[in-house]
Amino acid sequence: MSGAPAIVRFVTNMMPPDTTGEILAIGWQSALLTLQVALLGTAIGGLFAVMLGLLAANNLTPEWVHHPLKVLLAIMRSIPVLVLALLFVGAVGLGPFPGVLAIAIHSVGNLGKLFADECETAFEGVWEAMDSAGANWWQKVRFAVWPQVAPQIVSLTLYRLEMNIRESAVLGLVGCGGIGFYMTLYQRSFNYTRMCTMVLVTMVIVLAVDQLSVQIRKRLT
Amino acid sequence: MAERNAPVILVEHLRINYGRRVALCIDQLRFDRGECVGIIGPSGAGKTTLLRAIKGYVRPSCGKIEVLGLNWSTCDRLARRRVQRRIGLIFQQFHLVPRLTVLQNVLCGRLGSTHRLKSLFGRFSAEDRQVAWRAICEVGLQEQVHQRADTLSGGQQQRVAIARVVAQQPEVILADEPVSNLDPVLGAEVLSLLLDVTKHHDATLILNLHQPALAKRFVNRVVGLRDGKIVYDDVPSRLTDDQLQEVYRGYEPTPLYRDDSTAGRSMAMVGA
Repeated sequence: MSGAPAIVRFVTNMMPPDTTGEILAIGWQSALLTLQVALLGTAIGGLFAVMLGLLAANNLTPEWVHHPLKVLLAIMRSIPVLVLALLFVGAVGLGPFPGVLAIAIHSVGNLGKLFADECETAFEGVWEAMDSAGANWWQKVRFAVWPQVAPQIVSLTLYRLEMNIRESAVLGLVGCGGIGFYMTLYQRSFNYTRMCTMVLVTMVIVLAVDQLSVQIRKRLT
Repeated sequence: MAERNAPVILVEHLRINYGRRVALCIDQLRFDRGECVGIIGPSGAGKTTLLRAIKGYVRPSCGKIEVLGLNWSTCDRLARRRVQRRIGLIFQQFHLVPRLTVLQNVLCGRLGSTHRLKSLFGRFSAEDRQVAWRAICEVGLQEQVHQRADTLSGGQQQRVAIARVVAQQPEVILADEPVSNLDPVLGAEVLSLLLDVTKHHDATLILNLHQPALAKRFVNRVVGLRDGKIVYDDVPSRLTDDQLQEVYRGYEPTPLYRDDSTAGRSMAMVGA
């Protein structure tokens, strides 16, 4: 509770946010980079998640396939994105690339499990009907499973994108660039008004994407 | 041996066990081409097991079952898949793909014979589409061709399932209680359609039914199963009430409610 006056002082130091053109431009461009990292990471992650999620469904593949895959997916999502990003920055250097990798890998683990769960909801009847018509495994997945899980997969991926954008903003802390980088830069150099601008820009972008995602998901089912 | 005279399905000394329980125990059973056979019997009598054994989904514990010239016990996987493609299945719960249209569902019947890779992208050949369209016309669903399957009524859905099997162009059609989910009038209509379609394509139809009355009306041969054994195998006209009793004799219906004397409720029976 003794921190209360310090917080008040901190907040008043942030106000009013620095709205000079230069700072706004920095905010805007770095936010764009953050967005791109999140989008690319989610896209790559989503793609692999669909493939691995399908194979990890216990009703679609034999035990020796889906069991180790489920373990792998669990490992991939148990490591926080920030830690993954730290590891990758150490491995490949600073910049947005390790951020994309970290987001992609965590998304594969997260979405992969959700997709596998979707696929495991009962398809047995339709699956057998397709088998009866002579379909092979691929055709059965394409016609008995995919049409039913597709809307949920898109919806879950969009939801994951929302979260990944927030993650991506934070990744700037560990050297992945984007708006997180400038937020910490200004914070460490005591430029609180500029830091406030970065925070506000982040908020605006996250809220905008959230809204867009809600609208798209509404039209899905 | 003229091909026309060879039985489509031949069962000899067949035993199918699920663990200790004997599901099927048939000494002799034969189906010839063009027959329309109705299999009746109480739940658990082995009707579904027999159908699945004919389709090759259940391996005999011993004995022989030969379908379209292939012995299920001795054939290899590839040969089995090829023959299975010539056998169509119709299910009680229809098993359509709910979000796909009637046309797309019927096209699924072509999956065994069309180009595998192209079908994954939803591309079917012109011939596939023609066969599918003709099947849809045969069941009378031309108007609903682009409608999603989950918007159709039960009777319409079963007709789509029939069209899907027709598109498969099978020589044997197996139907496992195809009308049990439909009301009696609708059920009779769908059965009548199924029989027309079978005769039109010169196929053999084997039909599991819960309603002996329907069996008597539509098929030209009735097989009664009880505890895995055949207790009746003849034309429907000779299926008297006594014979029916024999098939369903001693069948204990599962009580829906306990006979709770304090509540005064009576036992409701889950009928045959």
